[in-house]
Amino acid sequence: MLQAVMTTSMPPAAAAPNADDRLVASRCAAGDSLIFEEIYRRYGDRMKSIAWNHLGSVADAEDAVQETFLKIHRAASTYTGEASFGTWLFRILVNTCYDVLRKRKRRVEEAPMDDTFERSGANVDDAKRIALKQLLDELPEQRRSVFTLFEIEGLSHAEIGEILGITEGNSKWILFATKKDLKEKWRNVAGS
Amino acid sequence: MTTITCSQIDDLLFDGSPLAMQTAARHAETCASCAETLAAWNDLSATARSMRTSWENEMLWPRIERSLRAEPKRTPRLWQLAAAILITIGLGTTMFYAVRTQTRDAAFDETILRISALDEVERAEKAHVAAIDALENVAEARLEDPQTSLMIAYKEKLMLLDDAIDECQANIDRNRQNAHLRRQLLAMYTEKQQTLQDVLREETNVSTP
Repeated sequence: MLQAVMTTSMPPAAAAPNADDRLVASRCAAGDSLIFEEIYRRYGDRMKSIAWNHLGSVADAEDAVQETFLKIHRAASTYTGEASFGTWLFRILVNTCYDVLRKRKRRVEEAPMDDTFERSGANVDDAKRIALKQLLDELPEQRRSVFTLFEIEGLSHAEIGEILGITEGNSKWILFATKKDLKEKWRNVAGS
Repeated sequence: MTTITCSQIDDLLFDGSPLAMQTAARHAETCASCAETLAAWNDLSATARSMRTSWENEMLWPRIERSLRAEPKRTPRLWQLAAAILITIGLGTTMFYAVRTQTRDAAFDETILRISALDEVERAEKAHVAAIDALENVAEARLEDPQTSLMIAYKEKLMLLDDAIDECQANIDRNRQNAHLRRQLLAMYTEKQQTLQDVLREETNVSTP
């Protein structure tokens, strides 16, 4: 059952990796169900939000989160600690979302707009959100991810750089260029 | 207070820091065009922030947990360990033989080089001996019937040298790679050559009235 909730404070993608991150990864590799539950408790909300903002469907977002946990289990032994565990986790999630989007493109189907729950900004016009969602859907993967992770999820450019495998400066530039493009179309949305 | 121009608004939006946005806002108060740009920019950000979302699905975690439990264990199986050991042994053996063959090849190459150097020395020796024999043939007639005491001494000396050369050659035949013996032999041949030249020179002197 889906129950609408207001988004509460979400954890950051995590700062620099540390020994705890490696321990978490080794427990994941060993299949420790308690650590997976802890990861879900800590990152689950943000994972769902990122997935939804990439896929636009609750069902697809939940599938992507589930798939991400399976990938973590399979790949945890390869976690090197170069990025924080949270960043690594979001990188896997974003790539999983890309896979879903590509499969969807191959099926030539449009994902239905699944917008049945409340949002964090109750005072913002729903029409604007839908319009922005549609504008984001038209963006290339990377630009959409940078916008989503920075503007919607509030991650830093450094974190986004690590998740998407680009430099911090590139992330900043991509966001600026994307917002500049969106701004032109946004004037029409706001005007109407 | 920093005054900016319209052309700098993009730089401030790119910067995106609170200070840059405040500066842009101050400029927008006096510029309608930049005010519109800034409003759209901020509206985009505000709308985006409202799109952060979450929902509760009590069934999601149990579903994930079930799928994780259904995943095969990541621990290596016995056959995988055995395969790893076999591969390690195989690679080790291959490396051992490769290194050994390489060492053998190197030793073989060294021997070949040594033999080839030896052949070269022997060829040079033969040429040297042939030249001396030719010289000896020229001097032989006089040496068979020496006319002076000096020529008799030369003949004895050459006979001694020939004996010594034969003995040295016999030793070399038993140990072809003995460089010391070869040097001795060369010295004796050189001495013989010198003596033969002296014989011929002496013969010329004697013949000269």
